[in-house]
Amino acid sequence: MAKVKVSFEWLSGCSGCELSVVDLHERLLTVLEAIDIVRLPILMDVKDYPKAALGIITGALRTDHDVACAKKMRASCDAILAYGTCGVYGGPQGSGYAHATGDLAETAFVKNPTTSTHFVPDQGVPKLLEGGVLPVDAAIPVDLYLPGCPPHAYYVFEALRSVLDGKPPQFGEHNVCFHCDRHMKHTDVSALRRVHQGPMENDTCFLSQGILCMGSATLDRCRGACPTRGMPCSGCTGPSEAIVLEPNRDIRTEIATRMSMMTKIPKATITSEIEKHAKTYYAYAMASPVFREKPTFLLRRWITQQGAAR
Amino acid sequence: MSRTITIDPVTRIEGHAKVHIEIGDDGKVGAATLHVLEFRGFERFVQGMQAELMPTITTRICGTCPHAHHLVSAKCLDAMFSAPPPPAALLLRQLLNCGSMIHSHAIHFFALAGPDIFLGESSPVAKRNLIGLLEAAPELAKKALRLRSLGQMLVEIVGGRGTHPVTAVAGGMSFALTKESHATLKGLATEALELAKVVLEAGKKALQKDPELLARLPLATNDMGTLRGNVLDLYDGKLRVRRPDGSVALDFAAADYAQHLVEEALPYSYGKQVLLKDAAGATQPYRVGPLARLNCAEVTGTPAADAALAEWKATCGNPSKLVVAGHWARLVEILHCAEKAVAMLADPAILSPEVRTAPGAIQRHVVAHVEAPRGVLIHDYKVDENAIIEAANFIVATQHNIASINTTIKDAATRLLDKKDSELLDGVEFAIRCYDPCLSCSTHRVGQMPLEVNLHQGGRTLRTARR
Repeated sequence: MAKVKVSFEWLSGCSGCELSVVDLHERLLTVLEAIDIVRLPILMDVKDYPKAALGIITGALRTDHDVACAKKMRASCDAILAYGTCGVYGGPQGSGYAHATGDLAETAFVKNPTTSTHFVPDQGVPKLLEGGVLPVDAAIPVDLYLPGCPPHAYYVFEALRSVLDGKPPQFGEHNVCFHCDRHMKHTDVSALRRVHQGPMENDTCFLSQGILCMGSATLDRCRGACPTRGMPCSGCTGPSEAIVLEPNRDIRTEIATRMSMMTKIPKATITSEIEKHAKTYYAYAMASPVFREKPTFLLRRWITQQGAAR
Repeated sequence: MSRTITIDPVTRIEGHAKVHIEIGDDGKVGAATLHVLEFRGFERFVQGMQAELMPTITTRICGTCPHAHHLVSAKCLDAMFSAPPPPAALLLRQLLNCGSMIHSHAIHFFALAGPDIFLGESSPVAKRNLIGLLEAAPELAKKALRLRSLGQMLVEIVGGRGTHPVTAVAGGMSFALTKESHATLKGLATEALELAKVVLEAGKKALQKDPELLARLPLATNDMGTLRGNVLDLYDGKLRVRRPDGSVALDFAAADYAQHLVEEALPYSYGKQVLLKDAAGATQPYRVGPLARLNCAEVTGTPAADAALAEWKATCGNPSKLVVAGHWARLVEILHCAEKAVAMLADPAILSPEVRTAPGAIQRHVVAHVEAPRGVLIHDYKVDENAIIEAANFIVATQHNIASINTTIKDAATRLLDKKDSELLDGVEFAIRCYDPCLSCSTHRVGQMPLEVNLHQGGRTLRTARR
């Protein structure tokens, strides 16, 4: 059987998605027997855009250079996979949505306390997109989405297998709770607690303990890595399918409804806490139109209300 | 002859960049500069986040060394919440650090730099990569990949996931080891130690068989690394700066970094460079990373790595100015990390269920550092009375090295100026890879590194070479 040609491009991101392919461990060699990687900037010296059956794009659109690269990938590949939360939703740098692009650069280059210079680089560097970070599908059509920061090897393998077999991937659209074996309980907890305030009970749902866990509003592409290791979910894969598909459902209302049913904390208190700390609880998917186009979406206002420094 | 060369992108590095080389009227190489082309703006958008999110959001600065951002951020939170971690947590964090160092160093040595070293610079471009290495030296390449996997599997167990670990929290760790996972870790570490010895021998042999290559790019400069006493420490300790003549220039605590280090923006790059400054404000360059760390340390504290370090110093000099010897130093550090992982797993204290100290009073300004695979990483946070981030400052390994990288690019370009484009491109990329630059990290501000080399003279572009 002829090997399937696969081309990679990385845009604004951290290279963790590329590493997550290597984290297939032994199965990487199996994958390499079936695919022919024609472009992979982190590993190969190929610099142009060869024709490929599958183009895998990691990272978000941050500069005009990123947009141009995404278009070259679309033109050279039969199908495009947006891989990782940055490509699908914008990722953490999407939190720049709360600020003007110039403000981000000012903080790093002009107002930084240990920096002796006071100018923003502007000679021959790619231009930052004025509207902020965008997901890949803001510039080109995307055929398959695999969010996750990075996606777990299980899903990476399944995505590649589906392309090789020409069949849709068997991902499942469950949320992070699917892999969590903590018990949901009714409790008398009457106040919210923050993660650093421990101690926590290891077999009880975080929501029952008054700790904001995003697991029930977050798609599983991680196999429950956080709640099974003593950490509440921070929502790094992006929202659950229910939130993506239903205009009036949102992270804060989903979480507040569940938590208020299990504890003595009023729903309004929880909703208001999430809005107040919107930067914390929407950290990974803020740039996505999935949120921006919702009638309930007031993220910029929530952040602005916390004062100019926020 | 004047010319302009463009390498776009520079490949087999972590991130996007280009290189600019200025040729004077005398035909000699003037300035040589690495341009980092990406910006994300972490220091701004983390303002307003709850501080406890920092150990997981800052891992996303870099996918190659997320554990380093994770650990330094957790160290900041320990100080912020006045919660020194219990012994078991400190062992687990160091184990995480060792596993990740093995993973990061192994992938760099074999996947990024290895093709040049094992296949040779004259091998065909299409085959000069990990896949070519797997075909040409399958046994060694598979062992190296296995070694990387073992390091990453240690991280997967201790950190909860390999890329972007999650378990280090204010005051310690979020979970305690079970007997089963402890046994698994022991098996992984023991296997890693055996493989580390094998790959060190193979890598050392490949580098030693070409003394010209090893000595090709000398750079006498200051070195910075973390020590306890005179012993290498990758998790905590004092920062030492050693001059090229071997004398100690400075010992300082990370908390005082602003007194001794200064960042400078460069008009053509989104990556700022960092320089040492003295009390009068005069600045000078220095380097960090495996070469600098082994130059600063007298011993590593583990027996096999100590023997390897002594041999490295005897062959490469003390302090060594051989930039290419950084590749060998990386393998010595892999051995040290594997030995240390085995030793820590033999310590019964690592199995204690006490892994987390309860928080105390909030400290409003905290600074911490850790040795990332590529060198010193500093995080600095200011918070309000509710532990909401008001300001953050990150100084990452590749930034410290920018000035040294530029000098080494200039050396490489000077040697190869009269050669054809492909040789010049290969030589400049080889020089850059010696530093294992990670542009995701250095561009937590703006972030992308394709490599483009431009030769300019008097404002005119003389030559552009692409492949």
